[in-house]
Order: sequence, then C-alpha cells, then structure tokens
Amino acid sequence: MSTTLNNDAHERAQKLIVLAGPEGVSGAERTWLAAHMETCGSCRAFAENAREAVYALRAISIAAERSLVSTTQMKVRRRALELQRQQERRWLVSVSCIAVTLSALVSAAVLWRGFEWLGAWAGLGPLVWQVGFVVFCLTPSLVAGVLLLLRGTHLADHAGSYEG
Amino acid sequence: MNATACYFENSMAQESTEIARGLRRRDPDLLDRLIEQYQHRLLRYLLYLTGRRELAEDLFQETWIRVLERGHQFNDKYTFSTWLFAVARNLAIDYMRRKQPASLDGLLNDGEAPLDVPATGQASAFDLSLRREQNEHIAAGMQHLPAEYREALVLRFQEGMSLEEIASVARVPLGTVKSRIYRGLSALEPWLKGAPL
Repeated sequence: MSTTLNNDAHERAQKLIVLAGPEGVSGAERTWLAAHMETCGSCRAFAENAREAVYALRAISIAAERSLVSTTQMKVRRRALELQRQQERRWLVSVSCIAVTLSALVSAAVLWRGFEWLGAWAGLGPLVWQVGFVVFCLTPSLVAGVLLLLRGTHLADHAGSYEG
Repeated sequence: MNATACYFENSMAQESTEIARGLRRRDPDLLDRLIEQYQHRLLRYLLYLTGRRELAEDLFQETWIRVLERGHQFNDKYTFSTWLFAVARNLAIDYMRRKQPASLDGLLNDGEAPLDVPATGQASAFDLSLRREQNEHIAAGMQHLPAEYREALVLRFQEGMSLEEIASVARVPLGTVKSRIYRGLSALEPWLKGAPL
C-alpha cells in the first residue's frame, strides 16, 4: 500500500516538474513539490534530466532556407493575384446577371404592350397574341438550348473517338 | 496584473487584430512579412511533425497558401501562431489521410534518418562538442517518439506555447496535453543519458 502511495507521489511530482510553469502548476502544488523534492533523490534526478532535455530541445536549431522563403512568397503572391482576378470575374458576372435580369424585365413589359397593340391592330383575340408573345420570348432560349445540346453531342462523339 | 504584462497583452491583441484585418484584405505585403517572421518556427514544427525535410517544406508552402485562402477565418481573439500551427497540422493530417487513412500516428514511424541538427551555443570547443552530442541524442530520441508526443514537446518547449494554446492547436483536452508532455519528456530520458543513435 505504502509502495503504491510512494509511486503515486513520484508520478505526481514528476508530472508537476514537467509542467512547471506559470499556468501549469498552482501555488499549493508548488509547495507540495518543493517539500517532496527535499526528501526524494529520484525526483531530483528526474528534474535535472528534464531540465537538461528541455535545454537540449531548445538548443536544437532548425532554419528555413532563403530559397524556400522566397519561393513561398512568390507562390503566395501569384495565388493572391489569381484570387483577386477570380473575385473580379465573379463580380463582373454578378453585375452582368443583375443587368440582364433588369433588362429582361423591362423588355418583357415593353414587348407585352407591343404584342397587345399588334393584336388589337390585326384584330386577333387575346389568346392568340398572348401565345405569340410566349413563343417569341421562348424561341431564342429554345434555339440556344438545341444548339448547345447538338454541340455537346458532337463533343461527346469526338471524345469517344479520341478514347479509341 | 502588472503594467508590463498588461502592455504586452494589449500590444499582442492589437497585432492580432491588424493581422486579421490584413488577412481579410489578402494583403500580400503582410503575408510576406508573416512568412519572414514565422519561417523558422513553422518549418521546425512541420519538420518535427513529419520527420521529412522535403515533406515539411512542401507543407510549409501549402500552409501559407492556405493562410492566404482562409485568412478570413482567423479569429483575432487568438494569437496568429496558434492558428498558423493549427492550419499546418490540418494539412499534415490531410496529407497522411491521402497517403493512408490514419491520424498523426502515421507520421514518422517508418525509420527515416534522424533530423539534421546543427550545434548551437557559445561555449568552449569541448562544451560545444558535448552539447552537440546531447542535442543529437535528443533529436534522435524525438525521432522515436510518437508524433503526438513530439508535437506537444515542440510546441511547449521550442515554441513556448501555453498548455491551452497547445490544446487548441492539437484539438485535444488540456489533460491530454499535460499527459503527452509528461510522457514525451519521460520517454526522452534514456536518450539524454546516451541511448544509441
């Protein structure tokens, strides 16, 4: 029982020695440690070894080479430029989207009025000129969609032939 | 708290705020300055974490690119070095996961050559030689420690980080940090006494 207690005390003391520092050990623990160290030769030896190990650890010097630093700085600058360009592009795309949406809304309203006037002038029923309006608005996007699909199929065919 | 400590704490907080502001702007001049300032510390940390100079240098560069890209995530309540080491650590873990699904355990346990440790100090030739030998022993001992212990020792004794900062970098509880430091330093004891290189 007393051996276990002794072992516990040594382990506690050694942990406190290792963590010794302003935030690692409280005042009460420090007092207990000082009292223990006065009577325990093995913990004093441990403290000495720990001190030497820490000293040796701090003495190990590892330096980055100048070329590594300058290459890193160059890469970081290049990446910063890329990111800046991406951001500018994103901003341009956002502004374009807003402009296109606004102009689409305005032109849809104007076109609606135009078709209404055209329908009245030609003596057509409201359903006819309204269908005409829808077809007129949808035709460009339908044509573009079909063209893109055709282009996509063409590219896929081509890729297949490359794969061999 | 005395006036000096208060002054240092305020100036550190101010520095962190300035860094955070610069990182949000992706200021290249600030990044140049930070790379210069933290070059040795970051490389040393990565070298101990990975044990391989080439890998450490690759991760060094990736870390700064990541700092540039994710700079807006830096919280100026913490010190910049804590965040920087956490970024570097995550990259090292990502690298290991790509190589094989593992944690830090996978780093440096496959018998690489000991770290290249130049001697330092301004003592006599005999003292220098002794010290150099001791440093070599300790460096070799570090090679044989599990990466978690090595990391805790480097952050504590080379970087001088507080236990809380280490816990924040390694994302482990304070008790685990204490235990790693204790076990790591205890494991180095035989090497200090001159275990074979």
